[in-house]
Amino acid sequence: MTATQRGAPPTGVPFRAFRHIPLLLTGLAALTLCTALSLALGARSVPLPTVVDALFGDAHGRDALVVTGLRLPRTVIGLVVGAALGVAGAVAQAITRNPLASPTTLGINAGASFAVVVAIFALKLNDPVEYVWFAFAGAAAAALFAQALARRAGDIDPVRLALGGTVLQLVLLSWTSAVMLLNQRTLDEARFWLAGSLAGRPLDTLWPVLPTLLLGIVVALAVAPALNALALGDDSAQSLGVPVARIRLAGGIAVVLLAGSAVAVAGPVAFIGLAAPHLVRPLLGADHRLLLPGCLIAGPLLLLSADVLGRMVLRPSELEVGIVTAFLGAPLLALLARKVAR
Amino acid sequence: MSGVRTRVAVFAALGLLALFALLTVSLTTGEMRIPAGTALRALVGLGDGGDVLVVQQFRAPRAVAAIAGGAGLGVAGCVLQRLFRNPLASPDVMGVTGGASLGAVALIAAGASQTLIPLGALAGGLLSALLLGVFAWGSGLSVTRLVLTGLAVQAGLAAAVNLMIVRFPAELAGSALQWTTGSVYGRTWTEVWGAGGALLVALAAALVLHRRLAVLDLGDDSAGALGLNTATARLQLLVLAVVLASLAASLAGPVTFVALAVPHVVRFLTGPPTAVSLALAGLTGAVLLLASDLVVQHLLPIEGLPVGAVTATLGAPWLLVLMFRQSSPVQRTHA
Repeated sequence: MTATQRGAPPTGVPFRAFRHIPLLLTGLAALTLCTALSLALGARSVPLPTVVDALFGDAHGRDALVVTGLRLPRTVIGLVVGAALGVAGAVAQAITRNPLASPTTLGINAGASFAVVVAIFALKLNDPVEYVWFAFAGAAAAALFAQALARRAGDIDPVRLALGGTVLQLVLLSWTSAVMLLNQRTLDEARFWLAGSLAGRPLDTLWPVLPTLLLGIVVALAVAPALNALALGDDSAQSLGVPVARIRLAGGIAVVLLAGSAVAVAGPVAFIGLAAPHLVRPLLGADHRLLLPGCLIAGPLLLLSADVLGRMVLRPSELEVGIVTAFLGAPLLALLARKVAR
Repeated sequence: MSGVRTRVAVFAALGLLALFALLTVSLTTGEMRIPAGTALRALVGLGDGGDVLVVQQFRAPRAVAAIAGGAGLGVAGCVLQRLFRNPLASPDVMGVTGGASLGAVALIAAGASQTLIPLGALAGGLLSALLLGVFAWGSGLSVTRLVLTGLAVQAGLAAAVNLMIVRFPAELAGSALQWTTGSVYGRTWTEVWGAGGALLVALAAALVLHRRLAVLDLGDDSAGALGLNTATARLQLLVLAVVLASLAASLAGPVTFVALAVPHVVRFLTGPPTAVSLALAGLTGAVLLLASDLVVQHLLPIEGLPVGAVTATLGAPWLLVLMFRQSSPVQRTHA
């Protein structure tokens, strides 16, 4: 199951980011296009000039209201959550040295789901804004538990982390169903949140987790050079003078901060964290100093395209983004499994 | 050899005794307590009309569903683990039971009659096995790949379940969730007869095909030399295991742990596998699932929990130990 990322350069290699500037710019252009589509398309499509007018204050009327009131929060949340998930996925794959790892396999989504369902059941909550801290706490607790399971001789065994997280996820999911079955109100409230969606969340949902998100990004970018050394194997990294256990701990904290905030805002959205690094790696290489910024662009790109797709397939109704990503991500996981377990 | 034989006999007797005791408990307890003697007489239609109704129509189908489902899962797990020579190869880990229960849910959603549910489960189970085969087939079958692909298939299925749960009206969403967690709550005879009958046929087939399993155990070369077409035999047994697991799931949903643990217990207690030990696996599975269902009904402080949640909790440590052992550094360097 372990497969080191091929071609990861050691830390000493000179950093030539400018070679990749055209690619990064293409990515940004694609992301801008996606953002524009996300603002314009949906049950009530709005022409792009009207979108621009609505954003910069000239237009009024129903179209403008749809753009500023519904689509803008949704798109902003999509951008932020996508970026967090993309980076969290890249860091998770680096610290577990496992190309199949993602925030989902570490039990983060399942932990958040369970905590939210219990909160809905026991405290009778009914507003996604109120779920934020429960989701974050559940995600953090699950991820820490998975890391505790994997701890051996003072360090985290990467394979045990992936396996333990998967099993933890299965158990938490069955508990979540059990709690949802306890009464009808919990089922009704929770089933929509559990699908994972960007819709119906005001920007107020985002503000509380913004500090943890930013902190997560900073920690992730700070450990990026050391993650390259980790890809060489623990022994080699150690002999290069990298404090392996401490880097892995910092990376784990970054994943919890990022993915925990993301799930708190949007609910459990799977596969963005798995797919983004795999999309970026063939383009930019396995150097984490480039991979992480690449995922910062690829994550929101994937999430927003999935969201727009979900709005278009069932018009005028829509498919939750979490369901779209799961449908698209499952074949991807199967293909990766084929490649990894050869 | 005689030592093993005594042990098997003792084990079988204890298993049957436990099954009988658990069955009696499950028929006597519930909202309304019925004394054991009265309950057993009510089972065959004697005594007070109210008792007969409660025992025959409410409690018996649930108990029979647990017994048949457990037996099917136990035997399916045994066959799969011996085919792949790996303790992780079980229908729940590989996602076959999940697919089967999804097939059942899809039929419920379409408004089909209850008699068709086993067919839906069979279709779902075979479909997920097919998906598994398409993605996992290649240069031989590696179990790691099978388990990983099983996880992928389960993720896709989970998306479909989520879709149904969000789109359905509330009461259908609840029943879909219950089906996909694993539960024998509220089974009726219409469901139990069809699936139970088919399961009985499949169990008999498993006992008949058992010789092939034993020959395959010798290794492909020896099996070929004995005149067995190994590829065909393996495919037959694989399909049989999938059918068993799917039918079991149409009764009890994707209950974890039973198919995973039962083969180990049986091998530990009765030594080398024979046709008798396959039958014992069925018996043990039945006892295990019936007991878990009783725990859910009576021993837990919260009412209305699905049995799948309990078996998942019990099975998780077991699964972890197995996985950790398979992926321990010593094994990895040899792999």
